[in-house]
Amino acid sequence: MPRTLSRRNAGKYTGLSLLGAAASGWLPGIAAQAAQSESKTHRNCILLWMSGGPSQIETFDPKEGHENGGPTKAIDTSVPGVQISENLPQTARVMDRLAVIRSMSTKEGDHSRATYFMHTGYLPQGPIRYPTVGSFLSKELLDEECDLPAFVSVNPFQAFSPAAYGPGFLGPARSPLVVASQMTGQAEDTQQVSFEVSNLKRSKRVTRAQADARLKLLSSLEHDFLKLRPGGPGRSHVQSYQQAIRMMESGAVDAFNLDGEDDMLRDAYGRNPFGQGCLLARRLVETGVSFVEVNLSSADGAGGGAGWDTHQDNFGAVNALCGVLDPAYATLISDLQQRGLLDETLVVWMGEFGRTPKINDNTGRDHWPRSWSTVLAGAGIKMGQTYGSTSDDGTEVTNDPMTVQNLMATVCRALDLDHEMTNYSNVGRPVPLADHGSAPVQLLLS
Amino acid sequence: MRYVLLTVIIVVAGDRPATAGPPRDAAAAIDRLFQAAWDREEVTPAVPAQDAEYFRRLYLDLAGRIPAVSEIRDLLADESTDKRLRVVDKLLDSPASVRHFTTSLRNAFIPQANSQPQFRALIPGFEAWLWQRISEGQPYNQIVHDIITTELNVSAGPALLSTTSPDAFFVVRELKPENLASGTARAFLGVRLDCAQCHDHPFDRWSQRQFWNMAAFYSGFTRSADDDADNPVMMQNMTEKTDVRSIGIPGTEDVVPAVYLTGLEPDWEDGSTTPRQKLANWVVDSENPYFAKMAVNRLWAQFFGRGIVDPVDDFSENNPASHPEVLDLLAEEFINSDYDVKHIVKVITATDVYQLSSIQTHASQEESSHFARATLRGLTPEQFFDSTAEAVGYYQPYRSDNPFVVDMNSPRAQFLDLFRNNVESPLERETTILQALAMMNGNFIDNATSVDDSQTLRAIAEFPAMSDEQKLDTLFLSVLSRRPSKSERRRFGDYLLSGGASENPKSALADVFWVLLNSSEFLLNH
Repeated sequence: MPRTLSRRNAGKYTGLSLLGAAASGWLPGIAAQAAQSESKTHRNCILLWMSGGPSQIETFDPKEGHENGGPTKAIDTSVPGVQISENLPQTARVMDRLAVIRSMSTKEGDHSRATYFMHTGYLPQGPIRYPTVGSFLSKELLDEECDLPAFVSVNPFQAFSPAAYGPGFLGPARSPLVVASQMTGQAEDTQQVSFEVSNLKRSKRVTRAQADARLKLLSSLEHDFLKLRPGGPGRSHVQSYQQAIRMMESGAVDAFNLDGEDDMLRDAYGRNPFGQGCLLARRLVETGVSFVEVNLSSADGAGGGAGWDTHQDNFGAVNALCGVLDPAYATLISDLQQRGLLDETLVVWMGEFGRTPKINDNTGRDHWPRSWSTVLAGAGIKMGQTYGSTSDDGTEVTNDPMTVQNLMATVCRALDLDHEMTNYSNVGRPVPLADHGSAPVQLLLS
Repeated sequence: MRYVLLTVIIVVAGDRPATAGPPRDAAAAIDRLFQAAWDREEVTPAVPAQDAEYFRRLYLDLAGRIPAVSEIRDLLADESTDKRLRVVDKLLDSPASVRHFTTSLRNAFIPQANSQPQFRALIPGFEAWLWQRISEGQPYNQIVHDIITTELNVSAGPALLSTTSPDAFFVVRELKPENLASGTARAFLGVRLDCAQCHDHPFDRWSQRQFWNMAAFYSGFTRSADDDADNPVMMQNMTEKTDVRSIGIPGTEDVVPAVYLTGLEPDWEDGSTTPRQKLANWVVDSENPYFAKMAVNRLWAQFFGRGIVDPVDDFSENNPASHPEVLDLLAEEFINSDYDVKHIVKVITATDVYQLSSIQTHASQEESSHFARATLRGLTPEQFFDSTAEAVGYYQPYRSDNPFVVDMNSPRAQFLDLFRNNVESPLERETTILQALAMMNGNFIDNATSVDDSQTLRAIAEFPAMSDEQKLDTLFLSVLSRRPSKSERRRFGDYLLSGGASENPKSALADVFWVLLNSSEFLLNH
């Protein structure tokens, strides 16, 4: 692919100066080269991850009228003939911007394996450490001129499969910058959600002049040590310091501060960690971040948990979760569109699997990988459609079954990437972005 | 014809002395093998390491931390010729070394406890058990045998967690025969069977049937029907039947018996031996083609950042050893010393190849598999925090009578979380942005480099009899375990003399301390 210099390679040309990173002229030569190679529009991706496995029937594939459908009603959407669950009224109004895939079908019904599969496009196998989708896509999509890391992850819930969230064989340089939400404010009714990157601010004890002097001394020390001892770990150390300093010095970190956003818009997203996380995702994409993952795992919005894992009380729990999801998702789509960002931003909605169509004895639904839903929207996608369908009882895919591999290939294609492009793995084998034999689904692509 | 495949693979065979010889003999033999390999491949090795370089490396590899400023001062002042060997003996008997080896083995035996948060609580009990055995000098083969055969109170469920026992080996593998088979093969034999679980291994010789033959040794575990499969830590109502010796291959009609990886079938005639005991006997048998080699290979990697077979737990025909004769020699030493880890450590640290400098003087040293210079490598999170604590004079509460208290909010726990590095090899270590930010701006380093809050720094800053030059020496020795070079003495000395950016001599010292702590020389082993 045409990108001439990745960040990793860039380090070879920058020398070991850290003070340079603090100065305004950050890598001017590299930036110029990157700009020259930039002939196509820039694409970004936002992944809305539903940890625990959301029920397809209570979201995008309602089965009103069948006993498996339970009490959940179907409602009309902005696309004639397409109905989704009543839990998503605002989303129904932006259905013309969505492509709902109702025919996801896998064999992975275990949280850990399924989370890994959906996040990497590969099943865990032996020693190969596959990178998470945010790592391998942001590696290709990254904007050299952006002062922030190319991959940001908001409130991830990693317990099911930590490896599914890591950069794998691409190495820690492709790790996400993880940000957690915080509640600020005294009383409950005045509390606000805010986001912060840890340790981004210089200590109050250290003056600007001191900080510059420190970096100058550190540069000289690094130079003397590493020029005699070449190797990856030393190079990576200096590069990470350069990136960290660049971020500290950059105005781009304002993207993390939501205070300047319109109050009405903040309300529309929902004043909870997921809603404000979606707003943050929009701001980050605007700033040039290539991949943002926002996790939704509980209705009160706290970071932990797997709220979509509704073995008990499925209907109440999914309704509550949709109360968080619906305004945030619909507002994100329309906000991106109004700002002209939807054409260049792919929004992916998915979890690790669906739920059993048959309702269990605890009015819950269990793990179900055979027939479930995911949703694509935005860049490269032919929107306002459903793709594939399930039987009346929801237990079978009746047409156009969708594999994870093909979904991944479709995502790549929508982002203008060749899904067969390879990276070298830790076991020395080339690994394509989407698994061998996969193909983008043309009907989903614009 | 006991071991059919052994005749092909094993080099250690026939008559051998009952005990191992002096470490320096084996070390010299290893050096001859490397010299021959370098000659053959036209490699020019680096020069020998200076004392300061050697001692820092040795402390990190053996004690898991850098030397204290007093230790490095004494060692550098010591003019005896055998000081390098003596400090190895001293460190091998130190609590720090027992702790470091405990952490290393725990990482190798229950790696899931690092990668999966729900298993973290298992670490203290497992470490306490290992720690006791390592401090008693128990032979390695016995430790492994005890793990595989440990009497599990499987019906007790979560009670497993709080005990001083090796049970975590089973718990992190959810007591599933397939996980235990691949875990046993990987942790103790360096054989990766994982792929063979579902199909014949794509690029190795293991068949799916062989995989399940191994799993059959653990087939006695049965899970009660109402068990919560989503929550493996809460394994309740498990039972173990010791007379089950076969297992069905999922998705097939096949039921396969317990057979060792070498193809040999266990002899069940002796009656009382359980399948796990049978397996343990075979794993640690001196004729096992993998066991001793895997153990010494992992030890080698602890001292070089890579194994002679690398990755250390990937012995396969497609991943040949870089120096097979060295591996054979060490494995033989290990067996002859009755699986004495300390003996192997003494051999490795006495070699010239371990005592090479990290300064590259020839392009042929670039390839790390030549072992022709000390390659830059990452520290484990534990090594890094314990070294930082040593450098800044942070008192770690765990050092007292109970070394295995887990306090998730302690600076150590926070560092371990942040500096856990998801790379397979320390030679591939990469610093993350969040790590850089924590070192530059985080509370811990900020306090440690503040004249108001840091005892170390204040002691240096306010010690009246110390000249600026001596203060600079002390800072360098505290953090980098060496004295400044001539040019550093000038550059940093000028900075101190001028009072630095804030024109305050104490702040200038803080600046220098901060710089040293943020350097790759401090963060890496070299």
